[in-house]
Amino acid sequence: MRRRIWMISQALSPQEMRLADLAAGRPDPILDRHSRASRLVGRILGQKPVIDVERALYFTLSMAETQGRPLVLRWAEALRKVASHINVYVTEDQLLLGRAGQPGRYGILYPELDGDFLDLAVTLLPGRENSPADISPEDARVVIGDIAPFWKGKTYHEALNLALPSDVHKLTYDDEAGLYSRFIVNETSSFRSSIQWVHDYGKVLNRGFKGIVKEAEANLAALDPYNVVHETEKRPFYEAVIVVSEAIALWARRHADLAESLARSETDTQRGEELLTMAAMARKVPWEPAGTFWEALQSQWFVQMFSRLEQKTGTIISNGRMDQYLYPFYKKDLDQGLIDEDRALELLECMYVGLAEFVDLYISPSGGAFNEGYAHWEAVTIGGQTASGQDATNELSHLFLRSKREFPLHYPDLAARIHSRSPQSFLWDVAETIKDGSGFPKLINDEEVVPLYVKKGASFGEALDYAVSGCTEARMPNRDTYTSGGAYINFAAALEMALRDGRMLKYGDNQLGPSTGDARNFSTYEELFDAYLIQHLCLLRAAFIQQYHVNKQRACHFAQPMGSALHDLCLKHGVDLHREFVPEGINLGYVEFIGYGTVTDSLAALKKVVFEDRKFSMPEILEALDHNFDGYEMVRAILRSAPAYGNDDPFADDIARELDRISVEYAARYSRELGIHNDIRYVPFTSHVPFGQVVSATPNGRLAWFPLSDGASPSQGADTEGPTAILLSNFRTKNLDLSARAARMINVKFTPKCLEGDMGTEKLVAFIRAFCDLKLWHIQFNVINQETLIRAQKEPDKYRNLIVRIAGYSAFFTDLSVELQNDLIARSNHGQL
Amino acid sequence: MSFSDRSGLIFNLQSYSVHDGPGIRTMVFVKGCPLRCPWCSNPESQSSEPEPGLNLVRCLGLAKCRICLMSCPHGAVKKGIGYPVLDREICCLCRDYSCRSSCPSGALIVYGERVKAPDIIGRVEKEGVFYNRSGGGLTVSGGEPLKQPDFLMDLLELAKRRRLKTALETAGLAEFAVLNEAAGLADVLLFDIKIVDRRIHEIFTGVDNDLILSNLILLMEKKPPHLTVWVRTPVVPGFNDTPAAARALGRYLARLPAEVRFEALPYHRFGQSKYSILGRHFPMGSLRLADGILEAFEGECLHSMKMAGQVNCTSPDSESDSWSALGNGWERGDDSKRPASSDRQIFSLKL
Repeated sequence: MRRRIWMISQALSPQEMRLADLAAGRPDPILDRHSRASRLVGRILGQKPVIDVERALYFTLSMAETQGRPLVLRWAEALRKVASHINVYVTEDQLLLGRAGQPGRYGILYPELDGDFLDLAVTLLPGRENSPADISPEDARVVIGDIAPFWKGKTYHEALNLALPSDVHKLTYDDEAGLYSRFIVNETSSFRSSIQWVHDYGKVLNRGFKGIVKEAEANLAALDPYNVVHETEKRPFYEAVIVVSEAIALWARRHADLAESLARSETDTQRGEELLTMAAMARKVPWEPAGTFWEALQSQWFVQMFSRLEQKTGTIISNGRMDQYLYPFYKKDLDQGLIDEDRALELLECMYVGLAEFVDLYISPSGGAFNEGYAHWEAVTIGGQTASGQDATNELSHLFLRSKREFPLHYPDLAARIHSRSPQSFLWDVAETIKDGSGFPKLINDEEVVPLYVKKGASFGEALDYAVSGCTEARMPNRDTYTSGGAYINFAAALEMALRDGRMLKYGDNQLGPSTGDARNFSTYEELFDAYLIQHLCLLRAAFIQQYHVNKQRACHFAQPMGSALHDLCLKHGVDLHREFVPEGINLGYVEFIGYGTVTDSLAALKKVVFEDRKFSMPEILEALDHNFDGYEMVRAILRSAPAYGNDDPFADDIARELDRISVEYAARYSRELGIHNDIRYVPFTSHVPFGQVVSATPNGRLAWFPLSDGASPSQGADTEGPTAILLSNFRTKNLDLSARAARMINVKFTPKCLEGDMGTEKLVAFIRAFCDLKLWHIQFNVINQETLIRAQKEPDKYRNLIVRIAGYSAFFTDLSVELQNDLIARSNHGQL
Repeated sequence: MSFSDRSGLIFNLQSYSVHDGPGIRTMVFVKGCPLRCPWCSNPESQSSEPEPGLNLVRCLGLAKCRICLMSCPHGAVKKGIGYPVLDREICCLCRDYSCRSSCPSGALIVYGERVKAPDIIGRVEKEGVFYNRSGGGLTVSGGEPLKQPDFLMDLLELAKRRRLKTALETAGLAEFAVLNEAAGLADVLLFDIKIVDRRIHEIFTGVDNDLILSNLILLMEKKPPHLTVWVRTPVVPGFNDTPAAARALGRYLARLPAEVRFEALPYHRFGQSKYSILGRHFPMGSLRLADGILEAFEGECLHSMKMAGQVNCTSPDSESDSWSALGNGWERGDDSKRPASSDRQIFSLKL
């Protein structure tokens, strides 16, 4: 009945026009205008990242020397060793100092996480299909000979692997050593020390580490020497804060020395002056408070890079509300005539290049599969409201948007906070930037986040001041606390187990879940749903048990003195941020619901086709699934014609809301024992691809081993009603009476034609306002022609800088596996004539 | 009269429509049209009766599925080579459409669904949050909505009661009273003028345009103050893509006694596949609109409006000399001065 047009639009977005220009060999006007950034970018474009082993080496050497001492102090000492020994660099043309490894694109290693299989990993990594990286033979020998052996038997990963009870282990790992994931209840805590985080950078800019050390010293002096906890826990913590603060200042000063010596031999006088200024700044910040915009940015950059040396915050440390904490510096410089917009942009671009050069490596095969395309989530937050609830937009918010339009790479991960009173001028600028084709900024909705965080225990002021962190998450840097990476649950696996009596085709006779009976005998939808529910709860249970062990092990294996130094509560109570409980803290964790559309559509199809219309029986469906629909195309076509999630159709959406309800109620009920908010979230990264690879054909007509649906988006191609229906389905499938929920990630793809001209911008702004009204957590857009994607797949060389949005982040299209490319191409376009 | 008694025949309801009226809209497409334009991109709209279609792109083929062969009680679905064929002579459009409901892949279609205004308004209102923010609403399109006046008035009236904004898209060929009544209820009127030349209009669309042209003038003479009128002209190769047609249109628009907005729409071929679904030949073949014609057409049209004394007409780019060197009569001009595509769609005429 409904007409569906697959838009093959002739109207190209500015990004597409630019790509077409480049492909045709025409000069790029934007690169011309930003000559420094263009030189910096030109050197790294298309580079395969190289692994730098120095951090891992000095960290390991120090940890070997300090065994037996309090963990937080060992960590601080290890960072002092790293800070004083790793090479420091001054990069040609760069205006910011500080990198965690060698020039070019690089990644570093965290053997404390996964050192038990580092030796194996470094041999596999260069040839890996997903996110490969190179390592020199000498460095590989260092890893295999010096680093890996120390960690055998000591890593977090091994401890977790041993701790998991067998019924949970078999849903987590594919092998006894826990090196390979089952992709059912996938643990993510061994490829990152914590979930994503954002520091209170403003504290460093305004007080400097000097101020933090002063506070730590005062707290140290106030300790009661007869109190055991004070002496054995708090004292080492405060000492560690002092050690690590001095370490970062030392590291900064080493950069100053190098820049000064280079300035002496520099023949270009302008560059010589730059180097001297940079040297002077590196002597001052981050120890002292920053004075100028440049100093503020330099101070932030040192903290951010040192944070990466400190630990693997997964997925990466975010930049926080940059338009807020940088604004006083920017305004002052602007008023004094020290800076103009273009100079500020140039400095920001230097930071973006630094971000682009650092590659967040995922050593384990499952980590790599989760983070295809060297994913980056170092979110820069703009807009939103101030802590007192006023609109926070300022000139810098607009400057970041301009910067996003003009900078050629997909850094940083720009996130705009939207609220009900966001000024039209801001939304217009946001919409124009989105139209530019790279999908930025992603949008996070204050109207959903703020009340939820207040409900979870924050004050309004804290909740209003949240910063976007990672792909969709929101953090309150002085109130909420860490959780180790939570489980990603493959609920399409639960569905398959309900259809196969607790087993999966991929894993043969392995009884993974409870026996719920032969699905061929299900005679009502309720019987089917009851079986599914048992499997669903079995996976949730495994995830929560996993999280219990994760939280215990984390405190024994990780410390984070610098990150803790920047947290009010840690400094006040003398505890590390990795401790299981931080007094007064609100621990915001989550479990991921993966395959929402796949499961919903499958249940809807069975309900409609088998139990209502009675077109086929359960045995017939199962037979078709066993054959992956080969020879059963008619069955598949009928299943696919059933109502599907994402079309604002109550038939499917009621099922989806029920799935959400049972999950959120479970989380609300059983999080308490964990002492955290283990909320339900719908954000896959790229996990829906490897998760799909273990699930055989599903009753929604999805073929075996194909990707699952992505986040809270509809199944690939199942959304035939356009983007308004996608939003409405998301709205209607939420259980607004409950609160144990976190982000839902929604991707909406537009062709440029839909957004053409000022009228198109106006309609996009209206669409964003409606998104805000619906109180949905997150949305991101992809403005691209399907043709462009297909061409890029065929001629990757010509399109190596084609940026696309995938699951909460942006990556180069050509960096993705063919499978993920196809997934993107398959997603419906919403262009209409 | 009650809303529940009068039904209309529609063939589509489409959310997130952004090119037919202000804001984000939901479009209802009604069936039946008195014109037979060969470029029509909705050929399924033309007949006032339901019409069967067979989409072979979707069809699984007889090797994999033969359900349809059994589904038609009259035997209208027959075996062909690899695929079914539809015998449109036999098809009697029986009311149960068993062929459509049996086809697993949605290849067998029957265009046309009987609906009542309250059902439509209910479905339209689900998208209300988007209209609130964008100034959008319901657009009734077709086919020709004026051909089902009872249903149309039901829709517009009920929408008005529910405080929904409405737009009506029409080719203007109907009794003036009907047009006038609808215009009194709608907020926006999208009025198609294909060409001013009476003879060419008749040759191409099968009907002359006397009534269309006089209807618009009459309507504009006593236009209700709340109503906004957009005149839209599809620029079609081989039909009206000439300077003469543009100039004649400009002169006609200049005679209109009240303000309208004008939009030239480029001919496109996205409707082509529907012709084969309906078992028809696509009359336009591979004709395409040459580059620059749309802009040249708008420019020429605007120019002749000015010549006709419409000195107050405004446009984002009132550079009336921005002609393309396109040959075929489009000789004045310089391609580089073409208005940017985002600025050129709409200009207003003010008296």
